[in-house]
Amino acid sequence: MNVAATVGTPFQRAPFLKLLLRKGSTWAALAFIAALVLAAVLAPWVVAHDPLRGGNDALLAPLAAGHWLGTDDLGRDVWARVVFGARISLTIGIASALFAVVVGVVIGALAGYFGGWIDALLMRVAEFFQTLPRFVVALIVIALFGTSVLKMIVVIAAISWPQLARVVRASVATLAQSQFVDAARVAGMGHAAIIAREILPNAAAPIIVLGSLDIAMAILIEASLSFFGLGDANHVSWGAMLNDAQQYLRSAWWMSVFPGLAIALTVLAFNLLGDALNDALNPRGAAR
Amino acid sequence: MTDTRSRLRPSRRQINLGALALATGLAVPRIGGAATGKGTAVLGIDADPPTLNLGTTTDFAAGDVSAKILEGLIWLDPQYNARPSLATAWSVSPDGKTWRFTLRKGVKWHDGRDFSSADVKFSLMEVIGKLHPRAAPVFKTLGLEVDTPDATTVVVKLQKAYAPFLSQMTVFDAPMLPRHLYEGTNIGTNPANQKPVGTGPFKLAEWKRGASIKLVRNDAYWDGDKPFLEAIIFQVIPQAANRVFALQAGEIDELLDFYTPKPEVPRILADKALAPRRSVNIPAIYFMMFNTQSPLMAKKDVRHALAFAIDRPRLVKQAMNGIARPGAGAFGDGFKWLFNDEVAYAKKYPFDPARAKAILEKAGIRGGTTTLRMPFDVSRAQMRAQSQIIQDNLRQVGLEVKLEPLERSVYYDRVFAKRDFDLMLGSYFSAGDPAIGYTRLYNTYTGTSPNTNASGYANPKVDELLTQAATAVDRAVRADLYKQLQLILNEDLPTLVLFDEETVDTASKKLSGMFPALDARDQWAGVKRLD
Amino acid sequence: MTAFILRRLLHAVPLLLAVVVLNFLLIAFTPGDPITLLVGDFPAPPEYLAQMRREYGLDQPLWVQLLRYLGKVAVGDFGFSFANQQPVAALIFDRLGATLELTLTALLFASVVGIAFGVIAARSASARRHGVADSVIQGAASAGYAVPDFWLGQILILVFAIGLGWLPSQGNAPVRGSAPGWAGWVAHLPYLVLPAFALSLRYLTLITRITRAAMLEVMGADYILAARARGASEWTVLVVHALRNAAAPVLAVIGYNVGFVLAGSALIEAVFAWPGIGRLLFESISKRDYPVMLAILLMVSATVVIANLVTDIVHRMIDPRIERA
Repeated sequence: MNVAATVGTPFQRAPFLKLLLRKGSTWAALAFIAALVLAAVLAPWVVAHDPLRGGNDALLAPLAAGHWLGTDDLGRDVWARVVFGARISLTIGIASALFAVVVGVVIGALAGYFGGWIDALLMRVAEFFQTLPRFVVALIVIALFGTSVLKMIVVIAAISWPQLARVVRASVATLAQSQFVDAARVAGMGHAAIIAREILPNAAAPIIVLGSLDIAMAILIEASLSFFGLGDANHVSWGAMLNDAQQYLRSAWWMSVFPGLAIALTVLAFNLLGDALNDALNPRGAAR
Repeated sequence: MTDTRSRLRPSRRQINLGALALATGLAVPRIGGAATGKGTAVLGIDADPPTLNLGTTTDFAAGDVSAKILEGLIWLDPQYNARPSLATAWSVSPDGKTWRFTLRKGVKWHDGRDFSSADVKFSLMEVIGKLHPRAAPVFKTLGLEVDTPDATTVVVKLQKAYAPFLSQMTVFDAPMLPRHLYEGTNIGTNPANQKPVGTGPFKLAEWKRGASIKLVRNDAYWDGDKPFLEAIIFQVIPQAANRVFALQAGEIDELLDFYTPKPEVPRILADKALAPRRSVNIPAIYFMMFNTQSPLMAKKDVRHALAFAIDRPRLVKQAMNGIARPGAGAFGDGFKWLFNDEVAYAKKYPFDPARAKAILEKAGIRGGTTTLRMPFDVSRAQMRAQSQIIQDNLRQVGLEVKLEPLERSVYYDRVFAKRDFDLMLGSYFSAGDPAIGYTRLYNTYTGTSPNTNASGYANPKVDELLTQAATAVDRAVRADLYKQLQLILNEDLPTLVLFDEETVDTASKKLSGMFPALDARDQWAGVKRLD
Repeated sequence: MTAFILRRLLHAVPLLLAVVVLNFLLIAFTPGDPITLLVGDFPAPPEYLAQMRREYGLDQPLWVQLLRYLGKVAVGDFGFSFANQQPVAALIFDRLGATLELTLTALLFASVVGIAFGVIAARSASARRHGVADSVIQGAASAGYAVPDFWLGQILILVFAIGLGWLPSQGNAPVRGSAPGWAGWVAHLPYLVLPAFALSLRYLTLITRITRAAMLEVMGADYILAARARGASEWTVLVVHALRNAAAPVLAVIGYNVGFVLAGSALIEAVFAWPGIGRLLFESISKRDYPVMLAILLMVSATVVIANLVTDIVHRMIDPRIERA
């Protein structure tokens, strides 16, 4: 995917929205994300049951009375768990992407702006992190140090920032040579101000795109870790639901299908959003 | 959803492979067929055993494989009677301190050397007495010594009488190992641990890590024309659901309860092509241990409240799929002879959340403000379900529980070494007698070893009764002592027994002579294939 | 060119060293004692534990352990796995074949099918603005990329193994042992189908998208027009001219994703009980088998570094226009 920034593409231009919302699929993705966020925030009002409360009504098939998606092996309502699971997925997904963006932008901007040994050093560090196989490292770190929502956010962010940093560095390096930056320097602006006010806003495009894609990746990684039993046991998580479902594949397919579908649709929505943003912000690379 | 496969038609898989074979003109082994020769049984296990030396481990899969290769002095039948294996006769002195065993003559090790009393002495004193996780502490406490007046006689001298001594002479607790291969070596790293030499009906032929272990017939076995099987293959299948699938598809011939995920058991019980053996097992109890040293759990009333709040029948139904019996008392009800019905949990602590709430309020615990920490071993699937049900139950009476699923060694460290918990989930195997496996639940213990009493409960009267019950030889006397113990323990409740495990071991109907022993892993010499 | 290769190689060495040290430190600072896992259910005598600890050098100070480890790695000795009672190198080597088979099959399948679909999509997109084939393929690619591979594995088992009974659900060989030689190899092929497919899907979709994008970039070029004007068939235009020139970014994606395929195999191997490195990793984590964990992490990282290096070189050879990073 071509995410190379075209220098100085602000996205406040009127055509941006038009480009963004060109495809039907983008509409659908945005609508889905909006609905998901709304459902996650308003979760207690959207569901009829406590997601942690079970009972003796276990393994009811979908369309049972009061449980339209059925119940799991401990009698808990599947719909409630899917909705509450969105909270964890979105929280971890967005928080770790945000965290990765912050770290990536800071490091990338410093490297791109100052160049020289700072650049070489920081990019070496980034490359080191990129060499580590993402999922394997996350697996080992969480397995060893124990799990919690915070730990997952930190670990996922730690493996996501390098790609962002490299892209930001490339953008910043190019932008740092442009005329308006020279002008700003001549006018006496400090480095920090130049970076923050002149350069970064123009480099925003790839950051936004990568950020969106990182959310999708983070959600997938969290689901994978929870599937391996490494998620936080005190919260409802889609990946953990799939873990529970493994033992019941043959007797309760609904325990696997609905959370899996939720993951797939959410990841798809964020990916589509990232694609659409890329199309809108990079008219040169836009696919027909 | 039933999917019993017809045994008369070849399965689709076989048809497809057959077609492929025809197409390529090659002979293809039929899956589920007997291409490796008549008389091969395939058993499913969950992982490679860490070692095959049963003198140093109690790992279940290790016992499964090695019980066919090694032997003990006796074996136990389902009625707990000792039957001859490497010992043909035995007697005990009236004071219970001296045991005399007569060994079987003409037994040879797999490498051709003769088996003798010197092997027994070496195994008991140098290996098991020092390194066996279960037996070593016991032997030390008993001051066990072994004399060998001649090559076929063994005299074991104890400093105190020990009621369950004979039942610990099985291959799982006291396997006989070849002295000529182990003496003078570092037992932990001796290569014979991976390529064991035993006296048993089968020998190790091949070990493909992560895939399978193959045993072949010991043609020089001491028992007539046994064994009947030509070979036994242990297939490593790490995913639990896949094991059941393999069993039902005929790819494996036996799956023991230990490897069977509980949700699949009803399906197995309904499958007409399988022959399950239910509820014949050495008792094991699952429990929730309280940390009596933590401020919240120190109060007996609070512990009682939790006993009222936890729905044990629901635990059995949902976490164990009905294959268990709800906790009945401090030692469960697996050993019927010692069960004290008067102070049973059913009478003292019926499921009553309202009452639990009342007790908690009186004890000053306000709803929603108290959080209890509950670590458990994450590798045990039932624990996850149990913990969630308990969390649910306790929330209903206003107690929040923070679940802490931990990797096993972290769990051992946190719970047993540091005692950093409010509640914990665990299970102990009785190993055939409450004196062997359940004493460690209640005796005073201040060390840091795993699988001990981490509750901090220390009651000298209980200690005394436990010791007496372990040394008295008369069962009626012991029963009385255990009943007294239940009187105290069911009231003090340092640990809440959640349920008694029941087992379902399953074999294909094509095998005969299955399950002669109490332990399903034992005594395979008499097994035959019927096809 | 040689200078480039040498420079990249030198570049890689300190990376690998850092990886090893990091891994070692990670594992050293976590709670839990691996020895207690060996003994099973009952409390072990302290002498036994102490003896085992001495065996595996766990009673030495940390830096001593690290130095010893580094020294051994340098000569290819990855230590002894106490959970498996085998030298680690031998253990990994045993399982390597299975993982290589799975991942290479998946990569090959993903590459071939992905490029094919990408070409078809590009052709459809260039022929008419909203070509049907293009939309379908793009949609499917987006959807396929979003599906978690372990869930896909479960669904495949549900449908093809449990439901239809066409394919086996676990392992890589028939349970009763396979015949030697050709027959055995053929018999084990059905076991490869589902796991390889599950593993390949995401990469397939990625490759499809990249191929399509790269092809479209190239399709408007002069030499394409020239070829068409010369009367070359669409097929020739597509494959011989366009694809060849679009190869560079496609190869880059294939090469740079090798590491992710290896990592993804951990999940797939667990779901399908495939006896490879991924499953070994998972088992060694739950057993706290430090030497094995370290060795696998090092191995996967080394593979990624090498794959990146090879891709860099090949990419450079194919497309001298790329700027150095």
